[in-house]
Amino acid sequence: MNITYTQLLETNNLIQQNTDETYWLCLTRTVQESKLFPVSPYMILSYFMCFYRYPSLLRKIEQHMTAEEIGDRARNMGTKIQNPAMGWCLPSFYLLGREYLIAMGMIRPQDAVEDVIYVMDFWKRFELAWHRNDGHLTNRDFGHRAQVLPERKLQIFHADMYDCVEGDALHTAAQTFMAATSQYGFLVSCESRIALHNQGPYKLDDEREMIVRDFMDLAEGDYPWLDGVASDMPYNNLTVPMAVKGCHFNIIDDWGSFESQPEFKSHHMVGVGLYTSDTLSEGHVPVGMGSREELTRTFEMLAQKAKEATAKLWQRIAGWSRDQMIDAGAITYFSIIKDLAHVAGCYAMEDWVLVDERAERFRPLLNDEYSNMSLWEILGPLTNPCQRTNEYQMCQHANTPARMYSLIPYSILKDGDYTRTVGGLAPGMSYLPPKEDRYRTTQGVLSLADYNARAREFTPAVCGEDYRHLCESWLKYHHQTPEADALYRLEQRQSRLLKDRGAGLRRADVEALRHPR
Amino acid sequence: MGRLYGDSDKYGDQCGTPVVEAFHGAIKELVRRRLAESGQDWNDFVFGRAFQLITADDFRAIDRKLLDYGHRYAWSALVSQQERPEAYVAAQGVGEDLANFSFEHPEAPTAPPDSSGLELRGCGDNVVKYDTDLVGTARYIRSSAMVLSYLQQGVPPGTIAVIDDSGGTLTAPILEQFTGVLCAGGTVRSHLGILTREYGIPCFMNSKLSGIREGDTVRMECTAVAKTADAYQKGVEMTGRVWRVNK
Repeated sequence: MNITYTQLLETNNLIQQNTDETYWLCLTRTVQESKLFPVSPYMILSYFMCFYRYPSLLRKIEQHMTAEEIGDRARNMGTKIQNPAMGWCLPSFYLLGREYLIAMGMIRPQDAVEDVIYVMDFWKRFELAWHRNDGHLTNRDFGHRAQVLPERKLQIFHADMYDCVEGDALHTAAQTFMAATSQYGFLVSCESRIALHNQGPYKLDDEREMIVRDFMDLAEGDYPWLDGVASDMPYNNLTVPMAVKGCHFNIIDDWGSFESQPEFKSHHMVGVGLYTSDTLSEGHVPVGMGSREELTRTFEMLAQKAKEATAKLWQRIAGWSRDQMIDAGAITYFSIIKDLAHVAGCYAMEDWVLVDERAERFRPLLNDEYSNMSLWEILGPLTNPCQRTNEYQMCQHANTPARMYSLIPYSILKDGDYTRTVGGLAPGMSYLPPKEDRYRTTQGVLSLADYNARAREFTPAVCGEDYRHLCESWLKYHHQTPEADALYRLEQRQSRLLKDRGAGLRRADVEALRHPR
Repeated sequence: MGRLYGDSDKYGDQCGTPVVEAFHGAIKELVRRRLAESGQDWNDFVFGRAFQLITADDFRAIDRKLLDYGHRYAWSALVSQQERPEAYVAAQGVGEDLANFSFEHPEAPTAPPDSSGLELRGCGDNVVKYDTDLVGTARYIRSSAMVLSYLQQGVPPGTIAVIDDSGGTLTAPILEQFTGVLCAGGTVRSHLGILTREYGIPCFMNSKLSGIREGDTVRMECTAVAKTADAYQKGVEMTGRVWRVNK
């Protein structure tokens, strides 16, 4: 690989974008801590894992499917390859691993340059494809908004959701479901928010907006710690389109969390639906959407299962050793992009749920105090020497002379003094029990070999070559064509109200169908 | 002794906290030594022999050295302190000493009881503004053993959980049973803030408290304005008050 000036310019720009946004996210969104999990230790371990393994794993994935094609698939389902995984975690976990190693003197900014260029380029290509309908690289790039979905899918979410008001049975059941499943998601994810995702907002009318909420990796699947305790969870991923009235979602960030004006309260929720999806499904499959009563019962049933699984999982985790907790957390973070491999049909347990031996070396350093303090320094005041810049500089948001993630020096084009890559995959280990060979999918509980084989053979109809490039810009001028009609009918196959309605409907038409005279 | 790229840093000096500086300084010293021992130049060393020459035992020795100097680590996850009590400062307020324990945050606003018996004992960032304030019984929840006990026996009605953990996992199986939450950490966007919002449980994050004991009747000013992301970014104080209700 001959590294060009253009490549370095673009790579450094992508690094800087992550620098700017990471500071804002960490400042305004959260302080992540736990008395149960050693959170900072597992986060740091995961960053090292990402630095050492992501380049090889992403290259392996692209031997099966390009980043752009996976990005196109991601719009068609509610799995982990949305946010926070792709908008922030993939680049920033990798760059945080790199920055830690630079701060420790273990590497230089010009080490593993081909890896850095490749990882950032993969990220850019995926993001542009996933975001192609809103034309942005990230939610940040869109002023913290995410309008990822095409009209044909939004129309179905809009049409088929049931109205609700605070105090009615559906509203209560949906609210309880979302609370219980959010909590379960935090526990499954070892205190991280990565099981949850929100996108939007989408405008339903002058008073109502819709966000699409995803709850992911809930059932027996990739995580060894869900074997047994999550066997009753009937769906691995659930998507809730949620309409609100009287509040505007002014922030949907690249961590997949939202903020609204005025603040969102449960009484703002006026409509809900429920779907499941994964890499083997034809898009979003309705769950309990046959009637309002069925949906209410389904939410109640799923909330109860989430609560039961929470109690069982909590008791399992409370008995873990510190090393087991660190492994689970680090694996959760590191493997946040694992669904890329599921889509490509090349998922291997050894790739994603073991701690790379090169990263494992650092475990003895990761006491709580060093981990908390070093993480705070690298993300907050940016006080590592490698993060300091000349005194004239004012970094975004903080106005201090600092940069979170080191740029690649352009001098390597002159002196050639750099290294290319960390090398291939190294063996891994874990203190956790081995993963059992059961993966719940929309096609049933499968072995991993079967899961991969089906993934390799499956292309959702709307993602096939006939339709993949029939985008929203094309649709604007071709909605009356047989091709557009066929595309919409494919999406509408399981819709209660829009089945076979085709491509001609506008938003007001959809609303009229919801409330016929 | 090898020389590192960062040894000629024009702008960077040292880390912001002693423990990070101690660790990173020791690691850099280790890398210099191993680089020299390898006899290789940096480009051959960094992703080659460095993997064999810089080991977990080396890092374990760095950890040991700091402890030998008498340092004891601050803990955040109780399991860390319980598994290596010799390496961490002692844990307080997580066991039988709970009856005499109280958060004592220096920033907590305090004032004597007013005419209605409300004694100001702290404040916090309100997650959601409610129509009325909340009165309940303060109960500290600081360990998985406490959670397990409440899981088995049930959380008493009217409990305002006083927690120093802004996460959503420690109290996961019992959170729904709380009447209110006073959390000494995090922001309104922390996981505990998100979950209490979803459950409709009044909650203050980033609470600064003083003198509230197990079993005290407390009042949370849930009618205070909820703190916004903009307020965090601009450093604007926006808090609700916490009173002890004197009988």
